[in-house]
Order: sequence, then C-alpha cells, then structure tokens
Amino acid sequence: MMRARSVFLLTSAIGTLGVGLAVGPTQSRKKPVKTVKAIDFNRDIRPILSEHCFKCHGPDGKEVKGNLRVSDQKDATRDRGGYWAIKPGDPQHSVLVDRTTPGNDSPMPPKDSGMVPLTAEQSALLKEWVKQGAKYEKHWAFVPPKMPAIPVVKNKAWIKNPIDNFVLEKLEAKGLKPEPEADAATLLRRASLTLTGLLPTPAEIDAIKNDKQPGAYERAVDRLLTSERYGEHQARYWLDAVRYGDTHGLHLDNERAVYPYRDWVVRAFNQDLGFDKFTEWQLAGDLMPNPTTDMKVATGYVRMNPTSSEGGAIEEEFLVRNTQDRVDTMSTVFLGLSVGCAKCHDHKFDPITTKDYYQLFAYFNSTKDAPLDGNMLSPEPTIPAPTAEEAAELQKGKDTLLKIESETSPDTAQKWVMEHRVAPPKLTPWEVSTTFRHKTFDEAFATDETPDKWSALKLEAGKGIALASLDNSSNYLRTTISAEADRDLIFRVSSDDGIKMWLNGALVHSNKVLRSIDESVDVVTLKLKKGENPLVVKIVNATGGDGIRYTYGTDLETKVEEAFKKNDPLFTKQTFLKFGPDDAKSKQYRETMAAVTKLDMAIPRTLIAEEMPKPRQAYILRRGEYNLRADKVDRALPAALGTLPAGAPNNRLGLAQWLIDKNNPLTMRVFVNRIWQQHFGTGIVKTAEDFGAQGEWPSHPELLDYLSVKFAQDGYSIKKLHRLLVTSAAFRQRSSISQNKEKIDPENRLVSRGPRFRLDAEVLRDQALQVSGLLINREGGHGFKPYQPAGLWEDVAYPDSNTAKYKQDMTADIYRRTLYLFWKRTSPHPVMSSFDAPSREACVVRRSRTNTPLQALITMNEPAFMESARIFGERLVREKKGMKPRLNYAFRLSLGRSPTATEEQILLASATKYEARFKAEPAQAEALSSVGMAPAAKGLPKDEVATWTVIANTIFNLDEFLNQH
Amino acid sequence: MDPLREYELMMTRRELFGKTAMGVGSAALHTLLRGSGLGAVMAASAAYGQNAKPQIHMGKPRPGMPGFPNFAPKAKCVIMLFMNGGPSQMDLFDYKPQMEKEFDKDLPDRIRNGQRITTMTSGQARFPVAPSKFKFKKYDNNADGLYVSELLPHTATVAKELCVIKSMWTEAINHDPAVTYIQTGSQLPGRPSFGAWVSYGLGSMNEDLPTYVVLHSKVSSGKVDQALYTRLWGTGFLPSEHQGVSMRSSGDPVLYLSDPHGMDRSMRREMLDDVSKLNHMQLNEFGDPEIAARISQYEMAYRMQSSVPELMDLSKEPKDVYELYGDEAKTPGTFAANCLLARRLAQRGVRFIQIFHRGWDQHGNLANDLPSQCKDVDQASAALIKDLKRLGMLDETLVVWGGEFGRTIYCQGPLSHENYGRDHHPRCFTRWMAGGGVKPGISYGQTDDYCYNIVDKDGHVINPSVDEFTSGAVHIHDMNATMLHLLGIDHTKLTYRYQGRDFRLTDVHGHVVKDLLA
Repeated sequence: MMRARSVFLLTSAIGTLGVGLAVGPTQSRKKPVKTVKAIDFNRDIRPILSEHCFKCHGPDGKEVKGNLRVSDQKDATRDRGGYWAIKPGDPQHSVLVDRTTPGNDSPMPPKDSGMVPLTAEQSALLKEWVKQGAKYEKHWAFVPPKMPAIPVVKNKAWIKNPIDNFVLEKLEAKGLKPEPEADAATLLRRASLTLTGLLPTPAEIDAIKNDKQPGAYERAVDRLLTSERYGEHQARYWLDAVRYGDTHGLHLDNERAVYPYRDWVVRAFNQDLGFDKFTEWQLAGDLMPNPTTDMKVATGYVRMNPTSSEGGAIEEEFLVRNTQDRVDTMSTVFLGLSVGCAKCHDHKFDPITTKDYYQLFAYFNSTKDAPLDGNMLSPEPTIPAPTAEEAAELQKGKDTLLKIESETSPDTAQKWVMEHRVAPPKLTPWEVSTTFRHKTFDEAFATDETPDKWSALKLEAGKGIALASLDNSSNYLRTTISAEADRDLIFRVSSDDGIKMWLNGALVHSNKVLRSIDESVDVVTLKLKKGENPLVVKIVNATGGDGIRYTYGTDLETKVEEAFKKNDPLFTKQTFLKFGPDDAKSKQYRETMAAVTKLDMAIPRTLIAEEMPKPRQAYILRRGEYNLRADKVDRALPAALGTLPAGAPNNRLGLAQWLIDKNNPLTMRVFVNRIWQQHFGTGIVKTAEDFGAQGEWPSHPELLDYLSVKFAQDGYSIKKLHRLLVTSAAFRQRSSISQNKEKIDPENRLVSRGPRFRLDAEVLRDQALQVSGLLINREGGHGFKPYQPAGLWEDVAYPDSNTAKYKQDMTADIYRRTLYLFWKRTSPHPVMSSFDAPSREACVVRRSRTNTPLQALITMNEPAFMESARIFGERLVREKKGMKPRLNYAFRLSLGRSPTATEEQILLASATKYEARFKAEPAQAEALSSVGMAPAAKGLPKDEVATWTVIANTIFNLDEFLNQH
Repeated sequence: MDPLREYELMMTRRELFGKTAMGVGSAALHTLLRGSGLGAVMAASAAYGQNAKPQIHMGKPRPGMPGFPNFAPKAKCVIMLFMNGGPSQMDLFDYKPQMEKEFDKDLPDRIRNGQRITTMTSGQARFPVAPSKFKFKKYDNNADGLYVSELLPHTATVAKELCVIKSMWTEAINHDPAVTYIQTGSQLPGRPSFGAWVSYGLGSMNEDLPTYVVLHSKVSSGKVDQALYTRLWGTGFLPSEHQGVSMRSSGDPVLYLSDPHGMDRSMRREMLDDVSKLNHMQLNEFGDPEIAARISQYEMAYRMQSSVPELMDLSKEPKDVYELYGDEAKTPGTFAANCLLARRLAQRGVRFIQIFHRGWDQHGNLANDLPSQCKDVDQASAALIKDLKRLGMLDETLVVWGGEFGRTIYCQGPLSHENYGRDHHPRCFTRWMAGGGVKPGISYGQTDDYCYNIVDKDGHVINPSVDEFTSGAVHIHDMNATMLHLLGIDHTKLTYRYQGRDFRLTDVHGHVVKDLLA
C-alpha cells in the first residue's frame, strides 16, 4: 500500500544517496533536497519501525524474537555484551542499522518473513536518526494535546481564523497559493450541504448575493446551525459510528425498537449538547445521579451491538461476543484505536496488552440485558420514550380516569363485588405419577397407563412447572375438586406437549399437539358434580422440555375474586368501573382506558443499558474464546493511555469521565478530526479510525491539537467547532485544481483548494426529493419504508423473521429524509449500500467513496430519483412558461446558478427534440409523466412534463449535482 | 484514500487526465469515450449452434492490485454452489455402513469426548445413532472409487472430475456465525467476503459486468429454513465497488437496470450524451480526475443496460443444453437455470459467481426434505461440470459445492428407521471441488465410523488446530487459502490495511492443501 506521508526534508548528508528522499507516490523525485530539518521520531521513524520491526520486536510480549524489543527504548539501546541493537550517536555500531541496510547478508526483516524490506531512503533515515542520538518519543497521539503557537504567515490578508495560519504555513512552505474564495452561491451551497445535508433555496442564494454587508456568509452559517435539519444531518455520521439499525442484525434479524435513541441524537445535536455530556450520557446515563429520560435513552448506545437468538446458541459465547463488540466500538469511536487485536494477543503495534483488553471488557460485561435477545422487539431493559405531545395526551387520559374513580362510591362498588362473587372451587394438593417411557410420541400418546405410584407436586394456578423432560414419555397429574353444588368450571390449561384429561373417570379433553406451554391455551369446561370430583391430567412429551400451566374460572369470576381478595377500595372501584354494569360513567371510563392503553402501546419503548447490582467476573480469554478462560481481571484502563480522573467511579461512568478528561490524549483529537473529515472530505489524520502507530501521520499535527484544545475551551460546543471550520478561509476556497496542485497535492491533504467529493447516499436522495418539492421534513419516529425492488428481503430472510417480507409504506412517509429510513442490518436498502453506506453491523467512522456504474443506474432509474425528476418536471412546467425560463429555474433550484450559454444551447436543443418526440408519441409522454406514487399534477401538458422530466433526470446525473464542491 | 482507488486514479490520470487537460483537449477525450460507449455495445451472436463458438461481448478489463496475481493462476474464475444450512455428509458422500448395527444405540462418550454441542440437543437425554437410510454405490473415479448416495445420481456421473474433501472442519456451531465465517473468514460481521477479496485483488476481466455475481435459487419444497445476509457477499471495509451484485430472476436482473417507461434507448443515449458534455465542462473547469472517472462509469452503465439482458436471455441456448441441465433450467430462478447462467457469466469473464440454495438444515424430517433438496441441485451441478468441460472451460473454472458445516450422526427428535433429524456438526463435513486446477477423481480425508471426528489413515483421531495445519484435516481457512492459490493468489499477500492491521481473508491462518492440487 502506498501511503502519502508528509514530506520530510533531510540533511544534505543523506541527500548524497543520489535519489530524492520524498515518500509517497506523487512527490517529485527530481528536485535535489536542500532544506535541513531535524528528524522527528514520531513522524519519520516510528512508521518505519512499526511497519518493518514491531511485528516480531514490538509490544506483543509473546512474540518477541531475539530478546529484542525495538519498540522499547531501554531494551533497544542496552549493551548486549559488547554490541548494541541501537547505539545512540553511533550508527556504525548499531546492529539495527547494519541489518536493515539494503544488501545486508542477513537482512531484517528476514527474507522469508513475507515482510517488505526497507528502502534505501528509509534505511538512510534510520541511520541519520541513530546518528542524531536515537531519540525516542511517546507516540504523538498518546501525549495529551497542548495549545500550539499560532504560526506566522506571509499572506496575512488571507487569514480568517487561526485554522488558516496552520494551513497557509504549509502551503507557503510548498510555494503554493490558496485558491481564491468561491462565489457566494457556491459557498452557500457548500455550507448548506455540509451542515444540513440539504441545498439552499434560490431565495436564500439571492439573499446572500445581495447582502453586501460584511459577514453575510457568517450570518448564513449561523442560520444553518439553528436549522433543525442540522441535527438530522449530523446525527447520520454518528449513527454510522455507533452502528445504529432497526433490526437485531444477526440470524432472524427481527425488528428491534431503539429509534428513540436515534431521535435523541438528532435533538442532542440541535440543542448543541456539549460533547462531554453527549459522551457521558451515552456510555453511562443510567449511572448518573437521578438520570433523566434522555440520559437513559442515550444509553441505547451501549445496546447497539448486533444481537442474536439463534436456536442452539450458547449464552456465554454471545455474552462474550456482545461485550467484545462494545469494547471495539467504544475504542474506535472515542479513542480512534483498534484494541480488537488485543483480544487474542498483545497488540503488535500499540501498547495495549491482552490484559488491558479484558480489563476494558470488564466495564461492559455487567449490563442487565440478556446475551441472547429472544428475537424480541424490546428485549429488557427498556423504557417508554414518549414525545412531549404523547406524554401530555397520556396524562390527560390518566386524569380523566382519576376523576371518574373519585366520583364513584366505594360502597356501590363493594356491593357489586359481593353480589358477583362465586366461591372458587377447592382443589386438593396435586400429585404426580412416575414417568412412563415409550419408543415414539404416537405410542406414548395412545397408551393410557394406570399409575400406582404418586408423589406430591407443587403446582399452583397460574404458575408453569416442568416435569420429567424425557423424550417420548407420559406423566400423570391428579387432584380432587370439591363443589358445593353442580356447576361448570372453566379450566384453562397449556401443556408441553400433548394432553389428555379425565374428570370423574371420563375423558373430557384430548389434544395431540407439539408445543411449548407459551404457545397456546386449551379451554376446557369441567362439569362438576356436587361433592368430590377426581381430575387426572396426562402430559405427553415428544422431545426436549415438558411442562404444564393452568388457571380456572371465567374472566369475570377471576377479576371479581381478585378484587375480593385484595380488599382495596380503589382497586374495587376500578374493577367495578371496568367490569360492572354499563352506564354513561363506566362507558366513558372504559373508552378512556382503551385510548390510554392504545396510546401507551404506541409509545415506543427503547433499549437502554442498566448495570447489574454485582458485576460479573471478567477473565482473560485465550484466543478471545469464551470457553478458554485464563486469569481473572478487574476493571482498569490501559496503562499506556492514562488513569481514571480523581474521584471517578470505576465503572462505565468513570470510563466516560476519563474519555472526556483533559488528560485523555485521544478523544477530542479523534472527534474533531472526524468533523474535519466531514467538511473537507479527508481527516487531518486520514485514517480516522486509527490513531495508533500504524495510523497515518497527521497532515497538520499542530492544527489538530489547536482544534482539540479550542474545542475543550469552547465548552465542547460542536456547533462552535463547525462554525470555526466552515468560516475558515481554507474551507472557502474554490475547489478547482490549479497551478501544479494535481502533482503537489493530489489528494488535497494540504488543503490547497476547497473540498470536492461525491455526496453521501442520504444527501443524494434527500436533495433530489428537496428540489422536486417532495421532501417531507417530519422529525423522528418509526423508520419509513420507501420504494424497494421486490424480493430483496425475501431472498435472504429467515422465513419466520418479522422483517422477512418488505412492505413499502403507502403514505407520504416515503418522502421523508433518508435518516429515518428503516434500517435492516442484514439487508440495507440497495441505494444506501451502492453509495457506500455501511451495513451498520459494525462500527464505521469513515465511509469509502466509490464511483461505479451501479451508482449511475440508481440516479438514472431508481424510482425515488425518477419520481423526483418527474415532480421536478411538473414544478418547472407549472411555475415557468417557456423553455428558457424553465431551464434557468431548473438550474437555480438544483445547482444554485443559471446555466452558461453553452449549457443552455445543449439542453434546450435536447428539450426541443424531446418535446417533439413526446408530442408524436403521447403514450410515452403519459408513461414518463406518471412515474411513482405521487399523483400527476392536473392540467399540465404531458408532453411538456415528460420533456422536463428527462431534463431533470439529466441534471440529477450531473457531476456538479452529485458532488460537494 | 484506499490503495485501489489510488491505483485507479493514477491510471485515470495517466490515461485520461494526462492526455486531456495537459494536452489533447477534451474534445478528443469525448470522442475516445464515445467510441467505447457507442461502438462497443453488444456483439453477442444469435447463432450459438452446435459447432459455432458463441460470439460474446467482452468489456475492457479493470486491473487488480499491482503484483496480482502473484503467480500463474490455474483458475480464472470460481463458481461456488453454496448449500446453505449444512448438508448432511453421512447421507450424501461420507458412507458409514458400520452404523447400521448401531441404530438407536447411544453415541459412545469416547467418540464425543466432551465436545460442545448446540443447546438444541444438549438437553437431550440420549444421543441415539441414526444411520443413513439412503443407499450408497461406489463409482469409478479413476482411483479407489467414490461412494455417492442414491440422492445424487447425476453428481455420481462426474465422479471422475470431483475432488471430494470429507475432512472439512470449522469451529462455528450456529448458522449465522458459521456461514459468515466461511464466507468472510470471521464469525462476526464486518469483514469482506471471498468474492470481494477476489475482485479487489484481481480486478475484472469484463468491466461491462459486475466482477462478483450472486444468484439466489428457488427451493422447490418452499422450506427455506435458514437466512442469508448481504454481508455474505458484502465488502466489509473494502470499497463497496467490490460487493457481490445479485442478478435476479424477476424484475430487473441488475437493480435499476431498466430505463423508466416512456424513455427509450435513443433518448437515454441522448440524455447521457448531454450529461457527458456537461461533465466535460466541469472537468475542464475543476480538473478533478474523479470527473473523468465518473464519465466512464456512466458509459459502463449504459453498456450494462444492453449486455446484462443479453446475458440473462437463455432462450437461444440449444436443446441439448436443456437436456443436460434439465427442463427446470427453463424456469428462471431455479438452481438449474442459475447453473446455466453461471456458465454464461463465466464465459463473459465474471470472476466470482456464487449460487445460493437454501433449505439444507434438516433438524427433523430428513427423510423427506433431504431428497427434495438434492433433487433441486443434483442434475444441474453435474451438468455444469459437463458443460464447462465440453466447452473447454473446466480447466480454468473452479467449481465448489458445499455448505457451512456438517450434521450429527446422532438423532435430533424422534428416531425411526424411516425418519430422523440431525443437529449441526462442525467437526467434520464434506465439500467437493472440480476443475480449475484441482486434482480430479480423488477423495481427501477420513472421518471415524460415527462421522464425528476426523481421523488419519490408521483411524486415529486428529484433533486439528486452526493454528497449524494437520495433513488430512481441512479447516475452512485452508479451503479458502487453497481456492485463492488456484486463482494465483498467495493468501498471505492479499491484504488490506484497516485500523492499522493488514487484514486478509484467512485471518492469521490458512494453509494451501497441496494434496488437492493437480
């Protein structure tokens, strides 16, 4: 892999090697190097050692070869009996220098190691480093950031804020000039897309163009930061990182309810919740003092890992996997480190031991949620997360119920209970027979034995119990029911598996069935005679567990008996109102009750984290396997990364407090880097997911530190951070590639021009809906299901899954923002996955950005894009008369500018041709002007709508439309 | 930027940007692109008769990673027939006549030896042996013969081509982890699939078609009792362009391939010409090579709109082809039709083709369900091999058949001579390979009489470890390493750096099983 590191310039001594020393595929190799600059261990040397040496001579304690750790200064420089691996200041006597020099007889890395040998340049660098004293430094990212000095630059006029000093310093060093500022319309489009994920309207563009006062752009940025669309757009990046989805993610992949978490993330961004709180709540909201609903909802973060309940799965195995996933995600999202390697062996490149890993593991292995999710919508713990309106509505209903209850006389209610009570039958204690075994289930069910040995069985109404649980076997249970008079008794029984019942010696019920006791209930009417009535029940088991559960009495009898037993005036009144005589009061009560229940049911419950009272013991697991336990370990932070802040508890909350502590070297750098990546396309550290020794050297290390420290100084305000970035002169440059920048700065790592990159899947879909006018900005709630080709879920899903069949929403919900798309993790929407959205099964903090023919087919033909083109076409025809005004309007709406003369010439020629064709072929016009679910606008000529649909489709496929620029 | 994009961009820069913005000018570029756009559309011949070699349209290749393949490949492409659910090896290939007399006797403890079993059967009071009720026959394979069950009569006819591995093993014991493991090298989601790795490493032989194609098959019993996941053909952390593309038997064969009703091909062409013209103006203004790349992607999309329907059109296949594959091949979406389609894809240079057939999870009612499953796939699997052979393609096409794990000798649920069920068994299972440089007519590896453990030639139990290769036992990583080897790839070299680590399909394991190579 070729990696573009920042160029390092060397002393002329090394220059005599006769080749250019620049690293990276695109650096000029011809210019002689003259500038002298001291070697920086972290920038220049660590990557070489990490890449070529650490695998065998690094932090991994088990793998150390030749008793040498090059990663450890003390070990690498010690006297080894007259020779040295590294002898500071003396390359001639440093074996490391010798063995890594190309051409050495026994080279390092060894030829058979499969590793790449050092280049001449790298070898020369090592030599020079040893000569300069072989100074080691802690890996830069493990040293807490300090506020750097703001660099002095020549072109002071260009500076808008300190970001620009850092950027311009590098450009001036390279002899590059920044690009001029983009025009106001382009800038506004750029800022709108990067902050809100939507386009500016023509009116907004006109406003900024006409605003000649200084600070027009800044004011527009401030407006965008207060838009509710801002939070939706920002949430999306976070949801990738935390792997948010609407299904469990494994095996059955049933739906699960956690979208209130998603909606909380949107709110948190919109309210500019400080990143410190944002972190604390998600990791440990449940452990904070007097947690609010929002704090609890935020802990959905902890529950976000994919879960399974596959038949046959071993609970402990999944507990371990879930927990490992949580550790890996926390580490990538907040620390920018992949600690995952350390689950099997000490990390080869970073100072994370296996013990460190399982000490982190211990913070996450003691939540109350079951390791297997039961394939349930809301596996506990959960809480209801109503919106403000829902909560008010609910309260109103409850008040009504209270009022009616208080107006009801307790005496009337009590009288009604006494009148309607039927004394329950008396059962003697149950007994169970010995077990009778058979060859087959059929035989066991057919053969009725006469047991002679009975023993006591603790079987109570309403409580299920297991019996012998032997395959193909029968058990008999008996009791005697006494009745004061002849009467019917409703007896509800469920059995695992088959059942027969005899009352007074006669068979009264038989059900040959394979089931568990939760699957169905048999209702049997027992005709009791006055006196004693012996009852015998036979349970026949096929395989696995068996059991029985029963209740008796009619519903009314049961309720009345409950009230009688409770003897609580309020409960008696409630029973009376619910089940007593019909009148206006009870009718209103019942209706209100039904409405409250319905609303209550509709309020989503959302998955949250809760801590077990006593933590589970954690162990080092060999090879990461759940059943290979080694030493016990307790919660602790990796030694190389720091310690808990004073007073912090040693649990998830303490962990969160450490993440946001000033002394944490990583969290803020990692986060501000991702925000930079959002706006500029590439992070200051390009490997946003890896700040470890193998990660890439930052393009602007001091800038990264400046932003991290500034972010903390600004109270972790994410909005302030965005504002700082998007109002910099660096961000405002034109995105064209001029001068020699294609060669000198091909990837724009120096920020020698404005950002230009393909927009993300969600933005592409949203902006097409937006310009057509179809987009619906309704916030929050259950995910929507838009157009999707038939059969995609069916092709893959487990047939019993409740997401096995895709049912598109038939309402305007399909025009909602893509953030709210229902996300099935084992089969995400094809538009999303084709445009590089991750599946949300694993943490992703940097999407790939590909350019494929399948993407072209989507923007050409996908129904939502095509329908948007059609509705856009209608809009143009309806709102403007004549071809030229329509084209101009189309450009202004979608591209924020008017067409050039050439563009106009090309597209108007096509439009004229299309219109003639559609006039001649009305069926074609009819077909094209009725794409999609939205009703066709009445009274518009179809040929014109069809024509402008094709022009809209053309615009939606322009590079300019598809890109941030 | 990932290495592949970097590489491609360099290509782009050299080929396009270098010649235009710095020299030739965009009009020339336009002509160049238009040339490959309009001129190269469709050359497929209608006259694919007995003797005439089909004329097949091939797009340009896309280069893979520099240095790949690492050595001369034996196989150019792979057709993987994936039996999802875990086919029962002792009812199909791993003949265990000794079990007849063990009917309903308990699996001896010395055989199980404390190995873990799923919680579906761990509560069972007994583990009674269920011998296969199906008859086996020995078929000539040019060596010591191959036993094949009566359920696979057609497969038996290609015994001489098969390299049957009876000693496959895995650690995963549940479907989701096991199928994810064999497809991506990890039991947890997040890693690239086999086909994605191949696309990344080797590139494409025909850019007008996807490099990795996935085909889903109808299951005639309707019992598709296990799920699939798009991660099985996903890209994990590799760029998404390497993901498997499902070619579908109903609706658009490739998603969103068809132009909307009301837009004909000539209008689409004109619309794309306009897009191209305007995009060139952007290229001139901004000089971003990604714009040039986008222009060519649109041309490729346009060509796919013709090449894919031509590919999917089986109507011109001659009669003898249907005699070979069976009449089922005329019904789109059947396993048979997919096998025929797979052959057409291989002819057009698609590197990795994977056919999924679900419903192989016989926990119960095996006596009825397994024959139905076999009937779906048997004739077409054999036909595919015969067809590739007569077209001279078998040498360079690797065909692989099998599932994610095996099944237990002991019965799950009610046991009778007539019917029984089997739980998951990861410690041994059978897969076969054919063509593409594997040794034909062999069977590799043995299992004990209970088909429970892998044993050596003398019947001693092998307790294989993923850490080191033991001759006679083939871990799924070994199988994957061997398949990559046949494609000319050293499995330790096909890596991608993500989060500071060089990941590969075989994780830190895998061993090329030389004994399987021709």
